[in-house]
Amino acid sequence: MTSSVDAETLTMLKDVMEDDFDTLITTYVDDVVARIPRLKAALGSQNFEDLRHCAHSLKGSSSNLGALPLADLCMQVETLAKEMCVEGVEPLLTQIETEFHQVKAQLEAF
Amino acid sequence: MSESVPLTILIADDTDSDRLILETIVKKEGHNVISVCDGEEAVAAFVEESPDMVLLDALMPKLDGFGAARKIKELAGEELVPIIFLTSLTDTESLVRCLDAGGDDFLSKPYNRVILKAKIKSFRRMREMHQEVQVQRDQISSHNDHLMQEQTIAKQVFDNIAHTGCLNADNVKYILSPLAVFNGDVIVAAVRPSGSMMVLLGDFTGHGLPAAIGAMPLASSFYGMVQKGFSMVDILREINQKLKQILPIGVFCCATMVDMSFSKRKIKIWNGGLPDCYLHRASSGEVEPIRSTHLPLGVLDNMSFKDDCLHIEMEEDDRLYMWSDGIIESRNAHGEMFGEERLMGLFKDSASSIPVFDRILTAVHEYSQGERDDDLSMIELSMADPAAVTNTNLEYEPQRYGGMLEWSLDLELKPSTFRMFDPLPLLLNILVEVPGLRSHSGTLYTILAELYSNALEHGVLGLDSEWKKTPEGFAKYYAERKTRVDQLQGGYVRFSLDHQVMGDGGALRIGVEDSGDGFQHRENINNTHKSEGYSGRGIPLISTLCDSLRYIGSGNRVEAVFRWDADD
Amino acid sequence: MTIESRVSEDGQELIISIQGRFDFSAHQDFRNSYEALEQAPGKYRVDMNETTYLDSSALGMLLLLRDHAGGNAAQIEIVNCSPDVKKILTISNFEQLFSIQ
Repeated sequence: MTSSVDAETLTMLKDVMEDDFDTLITTYVDDVVARIPRLKAALGSQNFEDLRHCAHSLKGSSSNLGALPLADLCMQVETLAKEMCVEGVEPLLTQIETEFHQVKAQLEAF
Repeated sequence: MSESVPLTILIADDTDSDRLILETIVKKEGHNVISVCDGEEAVAAFVEESPDMVLLDALMPKLDGFGAARKIKELAGEELVPIIFLTSLTDTESLVRCLDAGGDDFLSKPYNRVILKAKIKSFRRMREMHQEVQVQRDQISSHNDHLMQEQTIAKQVFDNIAHTGCLNADNVKYILSPLAVFNGDVIVAAVRPSGSMMVLLGDFTGHGLPAAIGAMPLASSFYGMVQKGFSMVDILREINQKLKQILPIGVFCCATMVDMSFSKRKIKIWNGGLPDCYLHRASSGEVEPIRSTHLPLGVLDNMSFKDDCLHIEMEEDDRLYMWSDGIIESRNAHGEMFGEERLMGLFKDSASSIPVFDRILTAVHEYSQGERDDDLSMIELSMADPAAVTNTNLEYEPQRYGGMLEWSLDLELKPSTFRMFDPLPLLLNILVEVPGLRSHSGTLYTILAELYSNALEHGVLGLDSEWKKTPEGFAKYYAERKTRVDQLQGGYVRFSLDHQVMGDGGALRIGVEDSGDGFQHRENINNTHKSEGYSGRGIPLISTLCDSLRYIGSGNRVEAVFRWDADD
Repeated sequence: MTIESRVSEDGQELIISIQGRFDFSAHQDFRNSYEALEQAPGKYRVDMNETTYLDSSALGMLLLLRDHAGGNAAQIEIVNCSPDVKKILTISNFEQLFSIQ
């Protein structure tokens, strides 16, 4: 299985955050959990601005946590949203959801 | 400001996890954190807390990072508040937007502690430098205000001294254009008691206050002395000496001074270091340049100072032009100088109906296109009706000449005084109270000294001048002189001095009488130089120095007359 | 404006060359060119070969050099003057104080 999170990034974070590391993970997970329905809703209503913004934030926070494949999927959504393109967004959202479950599992196990 | 002093850093990010990471990193670096979730909160927190630095996410709800950055920069005004955009934006367009909005730098995700630390450190330094520059700028600005204020006041004083006199007379046209509040150029003009007008144009090394400092004593000597009727040579010497004394080496005054005698239609001119003056002849249209033949004022000590002047006839319609180097050294856009040829050419344009003075100003102005790098001064002088000048004279010339004018003095010296006291310095001190005699003090001293020693040695002491012809006799003469003075019981030398004003000058009568027997003077007067017995008395010398010399009675009385003229 | 100075081979003379405009901006460099010397030379030569312009503050600087070099006893030659430069020296009658070639 390929790694969904970059161990080096996480090690560094753990070092910086110390006792707050667990809080950080929880915060991140809660944030993603809240954002995935918003992504879907934005796609449904074709609110590209919201879609783009939401994907952008998710990309940023994921990359900060070392979840690089997830960040990459978010960037693809962001790009499509910027071009106001519906085509291919839905499969990406499905992939994001799947990838997030991997990420979550690996983060909690770290 | 040391690096250990914590900064207050505002963090604005709507993503909780990202914000948490940043807060933790910044706090670990020892700084205080204010944390907010959107652009509006960021602006409010900025107003409330005045943070030293702002970390701003680009995309945020309500007000985005770009809008917040603009507001914050506007609120910060002159203060430098570095804004670092937190972004995972990668396209050029977005990055440019960040900079346009006032962003100073970026921090990309994933955050890196080392990089963030380095950025905070470098912006802190930039901020401190900016503050320092502002403090210095404010200091400079306040110093400058102060200086300008001082200069303005000083200029009023200066103008009262340096630009008064009779510059407004009808025969004077002038322009002085200062580079600074003060001008390195000085123009002074005044009318002498005799009715002649003196004008001095000076150009001090440098500009502004240092140049003006020298102009003050120059102007006060000039006005003081012209009023009292001193001659041009006396005034030049006085100014030269004063400037030499007070100015540092390397600072001096190029000057032209002219004395215009309206009644004689003549000018007397001295040029030390200024460009050629031009005398424009009305009859022929020719221009006669008057060259600088002297070193500037304030360079040489008075021993070496040369005061010889040119004497030139000047007709009523002739015009004399004097200028500082600002005219010929005016430069055009290519850096070329206006030059003498161009200046001379303006005089040759006989078709023009515009007066030469205005022609020159216009030409120089057009040539330099309003740019100037030197003070630019020019004077045009013409012969005036003597009567017209006398009127303007009265305003600032309440008393004629000043000093002692008409007086007489008798002084009798007795034996004890001969032993102890030399009367010559005392007499000389009195004589130089007459301004017109001051410049002749050397001559007067010689006359007094010769007459006094004759009266004392040959008259009172009865010493024979024949003795002085051989070396042995010479020694004997002075030994005997001392002995006789010491043993002297009676006798006297009487001085009677009398000074009268005569025309533009005056006459000093010096009478010396002694208690001796006199000598055979009549025959000697007729062949002064050949007479052996006469040479011992120094009479040929005195005769050449005086206007008249005559012995009276038995020869124990002598009267010398010395005349001086204001135009000397 | 550049000012260069060198001591002649026999060590007797200091040669100061002035390039470009000789004005107040040259003040410090000009002074340094002779004040920095440990041993004062007997003679000075100011080379104006590449001097394009000279103003009254430059004349002042020459007087400072003259003072430094002993005032009336100073031996200072000013050489290679262009006509413009020579003109300014002549107007001020500096040939009475310096030997101008």
